[in-house]
Amino acid sequence: MRLMHSKQMLGAAAVLALLVAAGPVRAQTRAETLRYVTGASVNTLDPNIPGSTREAFAVSLSTYDRLVSFGRKQLNGKWVFDLDSIRGELAESYDVSPDGLKITFHLRKDAKFQDGTPVTADDVKWSLDRAVTAKILGKAQLLTGSLTDASQFKVIDPAVFEVTLPKPDKLALPNLATVYPIIINSKLAKAHVTEEDPWAQAWLKENTAGSGAYIIETFKPGEQVILKRNDVWNRGLGGKQAFFKRLIVQSVPEAATRANLVEKGDVDIVIDLQASDAQSLEAKGKLQVISTPQYNAITFVSMNNQMPPFDKADVRRAIAYALPYDDMFKAALFGRGAPLTGATWADGKPPSGAFPIPQPVKLDLDKAKAYLKAAGYPDGFSTTFSFNVGQAATAEPMAALLKESLAKIGIKVDIQKLPDAQMSTQITEKKLPFFTEGVVAWLPSTDYFYRNFYTGDQRWNYSSINNPELTAIAQEARFEADKVKYEADGKLLNAIHFDQMPQIPLWQPSQDAVMASSIEGYTYQFHRQVDYRDLSRK
Amino acid sequence: MQGSPGWRTTVQGGQPVLMKLATTAKRAGRRFASSLPALFGVLIFTFLLMRVLPGDPAVFFASGPNAGKEEIETIRKQMGLDKPVPQQLALYLYDVGRGNLGRSLMTGQNVTKDLRERLPASLELTFSALLIALVSAIPLGILAALRPGSAIDHGVRLFCALGVCIPTFVSGLLLIYVFYYLFGVAPDPTGRVDIFISQPPSRTGFLLIDFLLAGDLDGWWAAFKQLILPACTMALFVIAPLARITRASMLASLGSDFVRTARSVGLSWWRIVVTYALRNAILPVITIAGIVFSTMLGANVLVEKVFSWPGVASYALDALLSSDYAPVQGFVLLMAFVFVIVNLVVDVLYGIADPRISIG
Repeated sequence: MRLMHSKQMLGAAAVLALLVAAGPVRAQTRAETLRYVTGASVNTLDPNIPGSTREAFAVSLSTYDRLVSFGRKQLNGKWVFDLDSIRGELAESYDVSPDGLKITFHLRKDAKFQDGTPVTADDVKWSLDRAVTAKILGKAQLLTGSLTDASQFKVIDPAVFEVTLPKPDKLALPNLATVYPIIINSKLAKAHVTEEDPWAQAWLKENTAGSGAYIIETFKPGEQVILKRNDVWNRGLGGKQAFFKRLIVQSVPEAATRANLVEKGDVDIVIDLQASDAQSLEAKGKLQVISTPQYNAITFVSMNNQMPPFDKADVRRAIAYALPYDDMFKAALFGRGAPLTGATWADGKPPSGAFPIPQPVKLDLDKAKAYLKAAGYPDGFSTTFSFNVGQAATAEPMAALLKESLAKIGIKVDIQKLPDAQMSTQITEKKLPFFTEGVVAWLPSTDYFYRNFYTGDQRWNYSSINNPELTAIAQEARFEADKVKYEADGKLLNAIHFDQMPQIPLWQPSQDAVMASSIEGYTYQFHRQVDYRDLSRK
Repeated sequence: MQGSPGWRTTVQGGQPVLMKLATTAKRAGRRFASSLPALFGVLIFTFLLMRVLPGDPAVFFASGPNAGKEEIETIRKQMGLDKPVPQQLALYLYDVGRGNLGRSLMTGQNVTKDLRERLPASLELTFSALLIALVSAIPLGILAALRPGSAIDHGVRLFCALGVCIPTFVSGLLLIYVFYYLFGVAPDPTGRVDIFISQPPSRTGFLLIDFLLAGDLDGWWAAFKQLILPACTMALFVIAPLARITRASMLASLGSDFVRTARSVGLSWWRIVVTYALRNAILPVITIAGIVFSTMLGANVLVEKVFSWPGVASYALDALLSSDYAPVQGFVLLMAFVFVIVNLVVDVLYGIADPRISIG
């Protein structure tokens, strides 16, 4: 109780008063630092570790190099990654043999790891062997480019490296530009190998052994990562080093706080604001807001095609004509993104073999009722519509509108909000009848979308569709080298999709990158993160 | 005069200090030992609870693009989930016995390490909040008790009601909006210290102490400023129970015989209120403060989220949402442990405030 003396009380009051009076103290000049905040967190320095977050991918992209990386192109006036232009990163150049079975990489002679040792073909071999051999995420990804076995990788000489493919695969090269096949300093990594961990996974999770543009200074999982520039790195666009000398990647879970921080100028760039905040910041006009529809992502309403009543195509068609797409788009995303509905297909046939393309469905309750009657449910039915708590901001208003609209044709919907882990489990076990989810394809080609999201019994086949014709065409299209035939295959797949309507593609949400007006060079990337190496300050 | 503080002071002074300390320590030790079975029960209960909850962590963590059955199996094996539950429990108990709480998939770190790094952040915040709460609640309670039914009393009641009914994330965001966004007097509400300031060498984990030990006053000031808003947010929420209990027990003690006697002998007003009435009224306040402290430590998850405070509560919530077993179990065990310790401290403080309690 000694605390209660009046003097101490006065002291405390004085301190409080001082605090309010004191102005902000600027610690140091910030022009050379890029500060990025995100709602999620970096949980590993090796992107290959199961459970690694997208933020971890972004950090590993700037600490490690890959053999190649994507170029960029303009889409509606905004820079986006270009799947069709692959440029060298650690490779100075590459050639593909005429039969498409051999890719030869010529490595840069001046490339050095961050510890000063040169990057050699042996390091590339060890790193790619690890990517296809160890139990890591890269394995499943590289499989989609026919890279499955260590025997496919060969060291020709210290600066020349060769990849052999069993079949010509147009996704082999793009796969080497994704986040997983990082090139690791093998001498350093091998020093930390143990008997039960032959690929140094435990060590690489907390340490980097790369040749990338940035060097880790401090890494606090779940809090922040601070990086400093690797001055000798020269693999940016135009052979330049990275612009920022320091890089701060910080977790700020509260979306409103992230918006405040970037508006006050304490943070340079943020990409995961709520749509409403992005909209109001854009309206204020002080900051740059670059919204790019995520052209490799789709938000779906999915129906379980194996479970009654959704096993009937007519029920799925009825739902497709009973959703208030425009209202949902406005309520969930404030109209930020690209809708995938409301198209007109001239003769009822898909106009293109690309995927996703806008579907010719719109709100038409009479048509919906007719389909429902044809399916044998003239009075409707009851079902449950589920979504992920993590997506509540967009899914909640959308679900409410869906419920209201479906009630008009007699379908009674219970809305179920599930914690993320529970939702993942139920999706994998195929127990949800009716729900919303989003997908992203890093390498957005039509066959890739169809093979991964519409075939097989794995988790990503959300609608559990099992259509032999679709499966056969998607598999065949994978190795189709003839562009005209590939386009025809794509049109066929799109026609089956529209006819069967296993799930309803709703829209491609925008990636809203909100940044200080002085920041330049932002490019929308396949991994939906900021590539820090692209950015500079005016 | 029996029962009045004056009587007590003489007896206290007469008792050898060493003997008193020894008794207190013995009592504390016995208390702690008797709470071990409870801790063990908590350990087993949380373990089972986590496994009953729906949601498969392996599936969740294998949710990267292209993750298939093989990845799920790998993670399941890594987490030891492929073994039968009794065997998992035995392994877990063995590990905990050796001080190993397992590994978090979320941060990829050892849970013991995570908790050790994050607990000081939560403790520092909670202690500061409790201090602010006590420093404002006790005078408020006393003022209200001195003039029951007056405007002051109603004012205090209104303030308490406001503090309790506004959820912490609302008051937190409001404080940020006013002090950071509008007036710009508070530092940006992220983390424990301005990100551009280098951290002191970690000795205690409490930044305010570490900065002082390092002799870095600018750093101390930065950390202090960063702490004020979240601490006030939490304090607002707990002022009500503390002020109400102070008021109630002050009322009782002001109306008691010894205060009437003290008044009649003509002692000064200050002395009556502080030495006689307050000293007798403080016991229930200590009890409530102890309870408030333990609840705050776990319940400040929203404050930690709003201010990006790297504490244990937000860590446990993230872990729970992703069904990351080890951190949740570790957190619950830690909270149970803290609760036991706080109760112990309350008991000891009781003994100091009222020596009669420590007899027997």
